[in-house]
Amino acid sequence: MAVSALNATHEAVDARYNDVDPVYAQTRDIRLTGFVLALGADCVLFSSFIFAYLYLRTSAPAWPPFVDGHQLPRLDTSFAALNSIVLFGSGVTMHYALENWKHLKKAAFNGWLIATIVLGALFLLGQAHEYLSAAMTWQGSSFGASFFTLTGMHGFHVFIGVIYLITLFIQANRGVYTGSKYFGLTAGTLYWHFVDVIWVFLFFLFYLW
Amino acid sequence: MTAALVERTLALLGAVLVGGTAAVQLKNELPVHGLDAHVAKVLLGLMILGCVLAILAALHVLGG
Repeated sequence: MAVSALNATHEAVDARYNDVDPVYAQTRDIRLTGFVLALGADCVLFSSFIFAYLYLRTSAPAWPPFVDGHQLPRLDTSFAALNSIVLFGSGVTMHYALENWKHLKKAAFNGWLIATIVLGALFLLGQAHEYLSAAMTWQGSSFGASFFTLTGMHGFHVFIGVIYLITLFIQANRGVYTGSKYFGLTAGTLYWHFVDVIWVFLFFLFYLW
Repeated sequence: MTAALVERTLALLGAVLVGGTAAVQLKNELPVHGLDAHVAKVLLGLMILGCVLAILAALHVLGG
């Protein structure tokens, strides 16, 4: 019942933007493909660093490595698990924000989008706390270099994402998007899911493995 | 109660809530067509995997 209602909404929206603006309907798919390809390129960037980390890790005699005769401690899993859930939770709220926009519920959209921005900012604060309490440095070991490079690159993506979401919030409330034209919101949601998913891999590689 | 225990408990509860909600969103998204919907399905599925990892971490099955 809920699924058929959702499909009916999507079909109605599709029909609406096809009717209202055929140029938008045609260019939307092209822009969407371009955006997904850009995410794919970002995936390649992260993959390169992840494979470098895997090489360093599997070729080391012990992991975490020894520095000045002492083995580095493992990273704090408890806090990382909690911080991960903050980020994954923001993915869920972003999804709800987009769905509410599709259903023309602007107040709910604003609420979910603000929740996403707050959770994204909280994740960044948690990451800053991790950096300040880490027992290693960037220069001290291959573990530290890999950790700070990969999580820093991810954190930068989250930071850009938070700015992107704030921009979307302002644009949506200034009437840039309508119930039938909201490509920016779709792209923002996909980008936010993407940074969530990259963290799934980093969380496993650095904290759980 | 230590800080680590509080963090693990919150992570466990959060992971169940977030993972469950993401699963419902994925279920609703399954019949929808289009590139954005398909990408969203893959990403939601991986996010659910992340929640499972967080649950295993909170229960000391994975990690230190």
